Amino acid sequence: MQTFKKAGTSPAVICVSLYIVAFVVYSAVQGNSAITPFGLSVLLNDSVTLAVAAAGLTFVVLTGGFDLSIAGTVALGNSILAVVGLSGPVGAIEGLVMVLLVGSMVGIVNGILVAYFRLQSVAVTLGTMLMTAGIALLVLNAPGGQVPDAIANGLTGLIGPVPVAAIIIFGLTAILWFILTYTKFGISVFAIGQDRIATRASGLNVERTEFGAYVMAGAVAGLAGYMVSAETGTGNPDYDPSFLLLAFAAVAIGGTSFRGGRGTVIGSVVGAGLLGLIQKMLFALGVASFFTGMFEGALMIVAVLIGSVSALLSARESRGHRGKLWFYRGRLSP
Amino acid sequence: MSNSSLTRAVVGVFAVTAALFLLSGGIQSALLSAPSLRTVLLLGAFVIIAAFGQGIVVLLGGLDLSIGSVITLGGVLLGALVPESNQNISWAIPAILFIGAGIGVFNGFGVAVLRIPAFIMTLATGIIVQSMILEFTQGAPAANNAPSWIAAFSNSYWLGLPILVWCILPFIAGAAVFQDLSSLGRALHGVGSNAKAARTAGLRSTWLTVMCYAISGFCGALCGCVLLGFVGSPTLSMGDPYTIGSIAAVVVGGSSILGGTGSFLGTVGGALFLGVLSNDMTALGMSAGWRTLIQGAIIVSAVLFFGALQHGSGGMFRLSSMRLKTLAAGLRARD
Repeated sequence: MQTFKKAGTSPAVICVSLYIVAFVVYSAVQGNSAITPFGLSVLLNDSVTLAVAAAGLTFVVLTGGFDLSIAGTVALGNSILAVVGLSGPVGAIEGLVMVLLVGSMVGIVNGILVAYFRLQSVAVTLGTMLMTAGIALLVLNAPGGQVPDAIANGLTGLIGPVPVAAIIIFGLTAILWFILTYTKFGISVFAIGQDRIATRASGLNVERTEFGAYVMAGAVAGLAGYMVSAETGTGNPDYDPSFLLLAFAAVAIGGTSFRGGRGTVIGSVVGAGLLGLIQKMLFALGVASFFTGMFEGALMIVAVLIGSVSALLSARESRGHRGKLWFYRGRLSP
Repeated sequence: MSNSSLTRAVVGVFAVTAALFLLSGGIQSALLSAPSLRTVLLLGAFVIIAAFGQGIVVLLGGLDLSIGSVITLGGVLLGALVPESNQNISWAIPAILFIGAGIGVFNGFGVAVLRIPAFIMTLATGIIVQSMILEFTQGAPAANNAPSWIAAFSNSYWLGLPILVWCILPFIAGAAVFQDLSSLGRALHGVGSNAKAARTAGLRSTWLTVMCYAISGFCGALCGCVLLGFVGSPTLSMGDPYTIGSIAAVVVGGSSILGGTGSFLGTVGGALFLGVLSNDMTALGMSAGWRTLIQGAIIVSAVLFFGALQHGSGGMFRLSSMRLKTLAAGLRARD
C-alpha cells in the first residue's frame, strides 16, 4: 500500500513544485498585479478549460488508452450552448446538463467501440473526433452566436475574493480524486491500466470499467466546452489541434504514465495550470505568437519525457506488480 | 488477417469503389463520365502519394499526424524558392524532399528512441512545422505562381489523362512491390505485428521505424511539391485535408491500425473510394459539417469492419471470454 501511494503521488509533487517555481517567476515578471484576486482569476480563467479537459482525460490515460475526441466534444458543447439561446441562472443549469449529456453520449460511443469491440483507442477516437467536429459544424456553421450572460459573466467573475473558476476547478478535482481513490470503479481504472489479465482474474469487470472511463472523459470534456463558452462568450465549431496536444501535455507533466496504471487527477490539473502559466509568461516576455506553436510542440515532447522518467523512477521503487494487485484484491473482495 | 483475406479485402475495396462510381450516375449523370473519372484519379493521386508514407507508418503500428503540415511546408518552400521560370529547381526539389525526410527522422527518433506515443509525437511535430511555416512566411506565403514545369506536370494531359496520373502508375507499382513483396517490406510487416519477436529474430526495429517515418516525411514533401503545381500558388492550409485523408485511405484500404497487416494496393483503392465519395458529396451540395461527419464515420466503420474481420466472425467477444477461461484453468492448475 505504501508503494502504491508513493507511485501515485510523487510525480504530482514534482509538478506542484514546478508550478510554485513558475508562479514565483511569473509574479516577478508581472509585478504586484499578478497576486491580486483579479490577477489570479484572470490566470485561472485562462487555464481552467485545459485543466478540466485534462482531468477527464486522465481517466482514459490511466486505463492505457487515449481519447482524441475530447477536442471535438469541447467544440460541440461550445457550439450547442451558443445556439440554443438559454437565459438566466436556470438556463445556465440547463446548459450544464445539456453539455454533460452530449459529452457522455460521445463517451458512450467511444466506450462501446473501445471496451466492448476491443478496437484501438487512437483510431476510434480520431474518427469520433471528426464526427463530433462535423456535428459541431452542422450545429453552428461559423464562429458566432451568443452564450447566456449567466454563464459568460457568472463563471468568470469572483465570489467575494474567490474566483469562481477556482471553486469549479477545486470542486471537480476533489470529486474526480474521490472517485479514483475511494470507489471500486476508480481503483479498477488503475488496476486495468496496470495489468488487464490479472484484473480480470481477480473478478473485476474490465470492459465496464474501461467503458466508464471513456464516458467520464466525454462528460468532463463536455464540461470543458461549457467553460470555453463562459470564457469566450461565443461559439466556435472548429476544434483546435493544439488544445488536444496541450491536454495530453498536461496529463503527461502531471505524472500520469501513457502506458496506464499510474497517475493522478491533481497532477493533470496542476500540469494544465503550469502550461497556462508558461504561456502567459512567454506572452508577457513578448515572444512572437508564431513561436508559441513551436514551444507547445517542444514542451509536449519534454513533458512526455519527464513523465516517463518519473514513471521509471517510481517503477524502480515498487518493483513488480504483485504487491499492488494484492492491494487491489484486499480492497475489492467482499 | 491472413494473406488471402487481405487480398479479398483489396478486391472488395476496388469493387465497392467501382460500384459507388456507377451508382453516383444516379445522383447526377455528369458524375458517371470520363471527366469525372479524371478528377477522381487526379485528386486521388495526391492522396495516394501521401497515403504511401502514412500506410508504411501505420504498418508499424504508428500514425503520422504531421503529414499535412509537411505537405504545406513542401508547397510553401517550393513556391518561395523557385519562381515561375523554374530557376533553382534542380537543387530546390531535392532539398525540399530532404527536409521532409528530416522531419520524418525527427518523428521516428521521438517514437522509436524516446518512446513517445506516435500520435502525440507527430501531432507535436505537425504543430512545430506549422508554426515554422508561419514564421518563415510571416503569415502570408509568397504569391508567386508555381514553377511552370511543376504546373505542367500536374495539369497537362497526355492520351486523355493528366501526366501526374500516368506517373503515379509506376509509383504505385514500385510502392506496392516495396511494401508487399520486398524483403524490407516483409521486415516491416514483422516489426508491425510483433516488435519483440522481430527484434529477437534480428531485425533492427529502431532503424526500421526511423526509416518509415522518414519515408512518410519524404512522401509528404513530394506530395506538397506536386500539389503546388495543381493549386497554382501556395497557401498555409494546402496540406491540411491530407492528414485525415491519408489515414482514411489507409484504413479503408484494409490495413490494420494496430500494424502488421496492410497492402498498398488496398490503400490505393481506399484513396479512390474516398475520391469518388468526395465527388458525390460535392454534387449533393453537402456542407463541411456533413463531410467531416461522414469522414469520421468512415474511419470508425472501417476500423470496426476490418477489426471484426481480423478477429473472425463474432471473435471479439469470444476472444475475451477465451482468455478468461485459459486464465482460470491456469490458476486452478497452480492451486
